[in-house]
Amino acid sequence: MTDLSPVDDPVAGRFFEAVKAGKLAVQRCDSCEALRWPPLPGCPECRSRATTWVEVAPSGTIWSFVVYHRAFQSALAAQIPYTVAMIQLDDGPYMIGRLTRDGNPPVVGARTHAEFVDVDGVPAVHWKIV
Amino acid sequence: MSTVRNPVAGRVAIVGVGHTVQGELPGQSVEEIAVDAAVLAMADAGLDASDLDGLIACKSVQGGGNDVAVGQLLGVNLPYVQSLDYGTCNFSLHLAVMAVMSGMAETILLTYGANARTGKFDFGKPMYGADMASAAGLVHIAGRAGLALQRHKAIYGTTDEQFGMLAVGQRLWAQKNPGAIFQKPLTMEDYLAEPYMVEPLRRSDVTMISDGGVAVVVTTAERAKDMPHQPVYVSGISEYAGVRGEHNPENLMRPWLRDSASAIWASTGLRPADVDALYIQDPTALWSLQMLEYYGFCGIGEGGPFLAERHTFPGGDLPLNTHGGQLSDSYTWGWMHVVEAIRQLRGDAGERQLDSPKIGMYCSSHGFVKAAASVLSTDSSVGR
Repeated sequence: MTDLSPVDDPVAGRFFEAVKAGKLAVQRCDSCEALRWPPLPGCPECRSRATTWVEVAPSGTIWSFVVYHRAFQSALAAQIPYTVAMIQLDDGPYMIGRLTRDGNPPVVGARTHAEFVDVDGVPAVHWKIV
Repeated sequence: MSTVRNPVAGRVAIVGVGHTVQGELPGQSVEEIAVDAAVLAMADAGLDASDLDGLIACKSVQGGGNDVAVGQLLGVNLPYVQSLDYGTCNFSLHLAVMAVMSGMAETILLTYGANARTGKFDFGKPMYGADMASAAGLVHIAGRAGLALQRHKAIYGTTDEQFGMLAVGQRLWAQKNPGAIFQKPLTMEDYLAEPYMVEPLRRSDVTMISDGGVAVVVTTAERAKDMPHQPVYVSGISEYAGVRGEHNPENLMRPWLRDSASAIWASTGLRPADVDALYIQDPTALWSLQMLEYYGFCGIGEGGPFLAERHTFPGGDLPLNTHGGQLSDSYTWGWMHVVEAIRQLRGDAGERQLDSPKIGMYCSSHGFVKAAASVLSTDSSVGR
């Protein structure tokens, strides 16, 4: 567990294991099959606890984004300015993630693709505008 | 059995308000600060601690300030005591109304104290531990507020200049308030020249952090008649909670604010045009934009053009946060909004006094999860 990333959390940790393997994964309820994000120990749609992590398509659309010009945590200081977006995954759920800025300026509605990276030993998803 | 549309209307009144200096109170605990405010609120109501039979202590954002900690310094044992772990005063006020109407207590003190400024509270640290948002660097309330504003700009065409009318307008009000912390003029040119902090938010769109305490005394309408000041009655209350709290548009755009809004308009029989003075708790200016729309002061998506018409400025027909709000007056998680509403309704607001306001409204939320609103009036029949 880092101060910002729940890599060792008993529930959320499974996401980071998938990221290490180059996959984007979310929970799917075994009972009602709802996909859910962020990770939870039970299904908020049907209250079932039976859950399977499933791979989802690593692509989606920018719902919105912000650009941090100030670091509110020292661990983020070296990354300023950085961009965070909420992505609507093509498979349904919304996911908050870092947006890579190496080309087109971000715009609401832009198409993005997930890249799986290692930031100082912590697995992370970075979204890239395609 | 007949149904009463609005059983709270005019039954409970705010009879005392008090607050410490808002600014820097180094070396003081949140409980000391809260009780300093409580002494002033009780004096304002012409009461002392032995006249109380209830205490509702709002915990400070950084911890502390709960009922047993405040109770030690207040020095009284009471029939009804409770703590709330969320602020804004609305939730405390609503619980007090319920406690009075249930008969558990007649006269209740509400307290809040903060030392987040000199205590250097870390507002960028994930409040409930690392999660999937902080893992992406989405920290501090400005992050989520910025996401919501960026979306509002994209789908409704809201401009920086329209949104900036909130920060600029709040500063104009604050310049009429000797107690406000930020008094330096802020023109639209000054605002637009500010660099982004969390784009699309600038520094002036986000609350200052200050130390300070606020306390409020409420009692029954019957007892209120014997108090020194014009009672300000609670005419209506509403809440709605988006506690699912997922990372999705419902969390950020907060359409459920409309559920709190429709509840209070339905129960009181009032409409937005009836409000003489509006108070919106504003940790970021986005709160005001969203609540102006969802409470029906303008149409959904029409907040930008509405703000540009200066309705909320001094002299406008919808005075908003006449003390300067969290952007220019002080932090206090919205509690000073209630103090100011009471001052305006009593006619004690000095240079910024409105022309005989009768109905005030206070809208707030606890982060992106819980909404609350109260209608306050000098007329006990309002809302019936």
